[in-house]
Amino acid sequence: MAIADVPLFSMLKTRMQWHQARQKLLSENVANSDLPNFKPRDLRELSFQQALGGPSAVSLISTNPLHIGASSSSASGGDPSGARRFETTPSGNAVNLEDEMMKVAQNQGDFQLATSLYARGLSLLKTAVGKK
Amino acid sequence: MATDFLKSIGIAASGLRTQSGRMRVIAENIANADSTATTPGGAPYRRKIMTFDQKFDRELDAQTVAAGRIARDQQPFKTRYEPGNPAANARGEVQLPNVDMTVELMDMREAQRSYEAGLNVITATRRMLQRTIDLLRA
Repeated sequence: MAIADVPLFSMLKTRMQWHQARQKLLSENVANSDLPNFKPRDLRELSFQQALGGPSAVSLISTNPLHIGASSSSASGGDPSGARRFETTPSGNAVNLEDEMMKVAQNQGDFQLATSLYARGLSLLKTAVGKK
Repeated sequence: MATDFLKSIGIAASGLRTQSGRMRVIAENIANADSTATTPGGAPYRRKIMTFDQKFDRELDAQTVAAGRIARDQQPFKTRYEPGNPAANARGEVQLPNVDMTVELMDMREAQRSYEAGLNVITATRRMLQRTIDLLRA
């Protein structure tokens, strides 16, 4: 049995990858904070179902070609709710540095939580196999 | 796995590079705020403006930023009546650079703020990377 087969570890791995991807996006937002017409982006929140690798969402099925497909809000990984824009500069840039800093700090904290849980899980396994 | 963190650092670094280039242009403008011409009736220093250039970095797989071309500000020059000045024209008027100190200082503050934010991102990303490495010691 590989360690990735344990649900706890596979979930934490997904979680950590999500935080990595988010950090990259936030880094992009900050780097482009003075670029005209740049809109900040963020990742959609990772759901428990997705992390488990189960069916991600319930969608309507069309049994008749005349049915109008009910599309989900956003097919990409972007946050469909849109950022709360406190300010848009005259150049059309909507990056709010304070907001981004807050997200970076939050992302870092959540990532540390995930890594701590991972380490804790490893030490539990070690205890189970009788290693001090 | 951890290459995404290195990419984040790379993206933030592109921002830092751009802001420091911008700072250089601002410093040039401030240094030449009083540079008049040396010949009678000549044109003084013309303010430089740095444009931002967004480019898609294939290696980092992300939108990075770079210093674009440096343009010249087309605002008209200010003039001052000073017949004794070697740069004065036939009417005794000297053309002064179109550098506005207030605008330059505002620009400088903005560049500084963005630079600090970029540094913050790098610090946070490095901590996250360190945590990943620490898992090895768990």
